[in-house]
Amino acid sequence: MTTAATIHPLRLATPLALFFTLFFAIPLVLLLGVSLQTGEGGTLGLTQYARFFADGLGGRVLFRTLLIGLETTLGCLLLGYPLALMYRSAPGWGRSAITLVVLLPLLTSVVVRTFAWIVILGRQGLINTTLQSMGWIDTPLRLLYTEGGLIVALTQVQLPLMFLPLAGTLARIPPNLEDASAALGAGAWRTFVRVTLPLSVPGALAGCTLTFAAAVTAFITQSLVGGGQMLLMPSYIYQQAISLQNWPFAAAISMVFLAAVLAVLALIAALGRLARGAAHV
Amino acid sequence: MSVTRRSLLGSALTLAAMQMFPGLSRAQARPLVYAVFTGSWEVAANEVLVPAFRKANNNAAIVLDPMLSMDQIAKVRASAANPSIDVMLHDPGPALVAIAQGLVEPYPVDKSQYYSSLIPAAQEPMGPAGFFQVVGLTYNPDTVKTPPTSWADLWNPIYKGRVGITNMNSTLGTGFMVEIAKMHGGSEKDIEPAFKQIAALKPSLAAVAANPGALASLYQQGQIDISPGNFNAIQILKAQGVPVEFVAPKEGAIGFKTTMHITKNSPNQELAFRLIEIALSPEVQTKLMEAPYLIVPTNKNVKMTGEIAKVLAKDQDDLMKKFVFQDWKTINQSRAAWIDRFNKEIAT
Repeated sequence: MTTAATIHPLRLATPLALFFTLFFAIPLVLLLGVSLQTGEGGTLGLTQYARFFADGLGGRVLFRTLLIGLETTLGCLLLGYPLALMYRSAPGWGRSAITLVVLLPLLTSVVVRTFAWIVILGRQGLINTTLQSMGWIDTPLRLLYTEGGLIVALTQVQLPLMFLPLAGTLARIPPNLEDASAALGAGAWRTFVRVTLPLSVPGALAGCTLTFAAAVTAFITQSLVGGGQMLLMPSYIYQQAISLQNWPFAAAISMVFLAAVLAVLALIAALGRLARGAAHV
Repeated sequence: MSVTRRSLLGSALTLAAMQMFPGLSRAQARPLVYAVFTGSWEVAANEVLVPAFRKANNNAAIVLDPMLSMDQIAKVRASAANPSIDVMLHDPGPALVAIAQGLVEPYPVDKSQYYSSLIPAAQEPMGPAGFFQVVGLTYNPDTVKTPPTSWADLWNPIYKGRVGITNMNSTLGTGFMVEIAKMHGGSEKDIEPAFKQIAALKPSLAAVAANPGALASLYQQGQIDISPGNFNAIQILKAQGVPVEFVAPKEGAIGFKTTMHITKNSPNQELAFRLIEIALSPEVQTKLMEAPYLIVPTNKNVKMTGEIAKVLAKDQDDLMKKFVFQDWKTINQSRAAWIDRFNKEIAT
């Protein structure tokens, strides 16, 4: 029996599957087990989950975290898409330049990048001193430790994750499709909306998935730019697990967070399936 | 010699196995791991404690693992039978937690040379208090012309929008809240008055720092002008030229007994004991007391001089009289509920 040369047997994935099962799936199941501990004796139950949703605090923290993630994803999309289009129509050296500029931040630690934002957004930071020297404001604006400041910082930090899949997908769209569209009489904007945009949806979805997951779990940036007054899910988990040593409750918060993020990602994937019906090559 | 894929794979796997299972390759004892606080404590340990230890112990290998108290407890608890930390450094609250969870080896008091020369308050059989941390008011002398004198000055309207505090995750934050509560009729059992005061302070707050390290860096960025603060934490900033000063409030600066413990089941029990002995010795304590470390000593034979004598206390007796010590056993019982309350009031 001959098999096509491009079909690889599934068993080639066994080492990775084993690694995944041992170091990801099994600990996840153990975490689920810890989250079911009620805290008194060896009984199991849903007490920790009930505690999370009681009196609304957990729900508020979760909602706020997911909202910040969605706003960051939107920001990355709005900024990353033009960048990816520029990348596609750039000459060879231009492409290298753009790739370098986008990837260079990834080569530094996220702590360094976040501290740069503290310097920019602070009371004596770049923005405030510039605005003050131009006479537009008298007292420094409060930019740091606000949700707006956090979203801006997260958008910049996660932008490469949006740019790379998008640029890859856009580069694979055959350019003669747009030529054909122009030849048939469509203007530049109409070509973009009816041809380029629908074909780039898979890349945009991949970018959104990566950016959202990275933004909601960005513990360092949330903690440094958001400050102690903004309690988000990662900080809540850390606080309960480390400062209070309450492992069952922290495990329950983690499982709720995991379920919520998976739900949002499933939503994004469902939107993608809807959009994919609109255009195909 | 031809390098085939097979031989390369074989060598790579062997090297990996040697790394993962060091018992197979060499019988080498693990270096002593000392978990010291981050920031100025790590610098002090690196420059004073480690050289003194190595000189007295034949250049024994020692590694510093900088992390805060509760992180140390989490790390040790995760592998209690074979801990990756040999000597822990703790604030009073976490020290009680560590002892209650059975993570600490009792200190061999009868073998100790310096234990009896510590001031009585520092003699803890589960781990002696080598140092004190001091919490009071820190402020920016360039923008705050008259130094504050009391905790109540934080509520002074002239500091509106320039006040910083930390959340209650840390010993600093919790200790501060207990002091405020005591000023308004509360105690270590009930800090309800403190929550009311913080709610009143909310409009004045420039920032709520996520941890004491972030609080210190707020002075560097000019975000705040006045806050409760740790005497040691600002020394590094002062050394870098950041304008920040410490003042003990008239109600009394809070003293935190900072204890060193030998971890239970540590493979380096003897070396751990020797490290703590070195930290208790008068020579090392005198050096740590001087600038730029300014760590308050507990050995009776150390004469308090310099900045510490000027700003904090003239000698150990003066220290015991002037500092406020809090009952952490009582505080620990309510900490979880207080942190939840703080979350609700401030952080959402």
